[in-house]
Amino acid sequence: MAADNCDPRQQVHTLYRDHHAWLQLWLRRRLGNVSDAADLAHDTFARILDSRLPAVLHEPRAYLTTVARGILVNWYQRRALEQAYLEALAQLPEDQAPSPERQLLILQTLHEIDAMLDALPAPVRRAFLLSQIEGLTYEAISRELGVSLITVKRYMARAFRQCLACME
Amino acid sequence: MSAPDNAILDEAAEWLVVMNAGAVSARDREAWMAWRARSAAHEQAWQRAERLMGAFADMPAALAMPALNRRRSRRAALAKLAALLALGPAAWGAWRWSENEGWTADYRSATGERRELRLDDGTRLTLDTASAVDVRYDAAQRLVLLRAGEIYIETAGDPRPFEVHTREGRLRALGTRFTVRQQDGRTRLAVLEGAVRVTVDQDAQTLQAGAQTTFSARRIDTAGPLVQADTAWTQGMLLADGMPLADLVAELARYRKGILRCDPAIASLRVSGTFPLADTDRSLAMLAATYPVSIASRLGGYWVTLGPA
Repeated sequence: MAADNCDPRQQVHTLYRDHHAWLQLWLRRRLGNVSDAADLAHDTFARILDSRLPAVLHEPRAYLTTVARGILVNWYQRRALEQAYLEALAQLPEDQAPSPERQLLILQTLHEIDAMLDALPAPVRRAFLLSQIEGLTYEAISRELGVSLITVKRYMARAFRQCLACME
Repeated sequence: MSAPDNAILDEAAEWLVVMNAGAVSARDREAWMAWRARSAAHEQAWQRAERLMGAFADMPAALAMPALNRRRSRRAALAKLAALLALGPAAWGAWRWSENEGWTADYRSATGERRELRLDDGTRLTLDTASAVDVRYDAAQRLVLLRAGEIYIETAGDPRPFEVHTREGRLRALGTRFTVRQQDGRTRLAVLEGAVRVTVDQDAQTLQAGAQTTFSARRIDTAGPLVQADTAWTQGMLLADGMPLADLVAELARYRKGILRCDPAIASLRVSGTFPLADTDRSLAMLAATYPVSIASRLGGYWVTLGPA
């Protein structure tokens, strides 16, 4: 490993020491609650630790809020998914509810799928979910969406391609 | 692992469309097999496609549809997320072909499960945790494709040759008992009885009973002696003899759902013992009872961390 003039860990440490309290307050004003703000502040620094910091940080707070904004949007999105998931779970008859461990796995996979499909236009996404989740045939999807069979296949290819590209 | 290039991923996506169309013609299947066999990168792209299918196949529609199909805010749609679909091999379990033509039979085991099978010719096949095989028998050959994990094979007498294929190479059984494990970029082979002929891209070697080796797609490592620990899993046991704790934890993790981590501070601690694979909670409790190790369990046992006591 190359010997850097400024150790990145030291740099993050300084950033944390000087601005953590401020960032937490910034998040708290947006979230209206202390513990979520503390979590997301922690996530912000965790992400910074995982990434490469610019050698010189002229505007540390602007940098922090840029990273924190991304995390905030991500967090809202995850929460919306969790909300919808929990509502659906509450609707299930008791004997059909998956075990708690499985519920956690399902939720994790849903987050991953959701993220992969994020960039797709609504009709493509819908066609894809009807096929892969509901198990409808392409013909049934073309009737449901009122588009041609060729279009359904094009939608499917696009969605599959998007997913494959997102995977490691 | 290098990423398959874009053109190959485009083609993989097209094949997914074809394969998901319900009835797949024999001709399409053949063309798909040929596409897949074209290069390692093609096969790798397809492995990715299968993992993707597994993720969907396991989803209960009643939960997944409302969660994924919710109304999306503008703001959320703008969010760029990096997604990692880090699914274990067990997750692609439910990948299903229309099996009406019967030329492919898929078998798999769940995480923590050990599954024993007897194939048509009487060959015994045991799947270790989170393992999967395709079995393809025809008039001329008996072929087992190891897709993930580890298998134990005890071949039955039959005039047709018996082969196991992994991502790296081909193994021909010469009247034998042996185990094969698919690892990341490598295959591990241990021969208990008889002999196994290994063929990779530019190398071939016959391994006799009592030997074990690993090989990449290019070359076969020098064979070493087989120790009991190599095949203890077939008896449901993990044998450790001065094994670094981190290695033991990595092994046990293969048999557990959820996440099992080891604090780096104790990673190199040497441990010995016989640990039951069917009950990894007990294995962990045994560790904590004999070594200066503490166990912190969160999320109902889903997330377990071993730390210094």
